[in-house]
Amino acid sequence: MTSSVAAAAPSPAPALSPALSPKVVAPPPQKAADRKVVAAAADEVPNEMHVLAVDDSSVDRAVIAKILRSSKYRVTTVESATRALELLCLGLVPNVNMIITDYWMPGMTGYELLKRVKESSKLKEIPVVIMSSENVPNRISRCLEEGAEDFLLKPVRPSDVSRLCSRIR
Amino acid sequence: MAAALTNQLHALVNNMFATGLLDDQFQQLQMLQDSSAPDFVSEVVTLFCDDGERIIGELARQLDKPNVDFDRVDSFAHQLKGSSASVGAQQVKNTCIQFREFCQQRSRDGCLKTLDLVRTEFYDLRNKFQVMLQVLPNVLKIHLTLSIEFH
Repeated sequence: MTSSVAAAAPSPAPALSPALSPKVVAPPPQKAADRKVVAAAADEVPNEMHVLAVDDSSVDRAVIAKILRSSKYRVTTVESATRALELLCLGLVPNVNMIITDYWMPGMTGYELLKRVKESSKLKEIPVVIMSSENVPNRISRCLEEGAEDFLLKPVRPSDVSRLCSRIR
Repeated sequence: MAAALTNQLHALVNNMFATGLLDDQFQQLQMLQDSSAPDFVSEVVTLFCDDGERIIGELARQLDKPNVDFDRVDSFAHQLKGSSASVGAQQVKNTCIQFREFCQQRSRDGCLKTLDLVRTEFYDLRNKFQVMLQVLPNVLKIHLTLSIEFH
C-alpha cells in the first residue's frame, strides 16, 4: 500500500533523481497514498491555486492533501524538504501558490526550507506555512520572524486550512 | 442482514469513541470522505497501520541494543505519536506521550514497559480497523454517511 518511491534520507546533493522525471508527467493515480507529483487534469480551472505539501509522514501527507483538495486546491505532495527544493528550483512544480511544510523532518527541516525559500529571489514570494505537532512558542516566533505566513498545530483540521487559504488568495 | 451488520459496525465505532480509542480527529477524517475520494478513510487508516507496524518494529530493535540511543527511540515515538494524532488514535497517541517521557528520563525499563503497552493498544486498534475496513467495507461507507447525523 505504501509508495515504493521513498526519500527517507534525502541526499545532500540536489541531483535529479531518476524517480523524478518519469513521475512528473504521469497521469494522476487515484490513491491518496501513491499520489506523488500530479499533473493538472484537463478539466481543472487553469488559475486554480496550487499547493506544495511537504511532510515525511505518509499519514500526514494523505490528510493534508485531502484537506486541501476538499478546498479545491491542486496539491503536489513530497516527502522531504530537499525534494521540495529540487522540484521548485528545477521548475518542475510551476505556479506554486503556497508551500505547507512539516517542521520536523529528517535531513532538512521545514524551518530550513522556509529560510531557503525566503533567500531565493525566484521563490521568496511564495507564502510558506509551517505545521508542527509541538506547541513551542520559540519555534513559532522563529518561523514567523523568518517570514512564515502562518504556523499550524497538528493534527491539522479543515477549519485551520480554510481560515488560512482565505487570507492567501 | 445488511441492517444487522450496519448496527454492529455502528456499535463498534461508537464503542471506540466511548472508550477513548478514537477521538474527534477520526470524525474529521470521516467528514472529509466524499465522492471524489470514496476510500479516503480506509486509505489513511491503512497507511497508519503500515506505518505503526514499521515504527513498533524499529522501537523494539532500538531498545534491544546494548547501548540504547534514546534520542533515536524518542524520534520514532514522536513519529508514531504524530501519525496516531493525525488519524484520531487517541489511546495510542497518549501512550506515545508517556513513551517520550521515559526517553527523556533515559529509562530503558520504562521504555520497554511502554513499548509493550503501545504494541498491545496498536494491535487491538488495528484489529478493530480491519473489521471496519475488510470485513465490512461497503457497510463502512453507509455508516459514514449515517454517522455524520449521529455526531
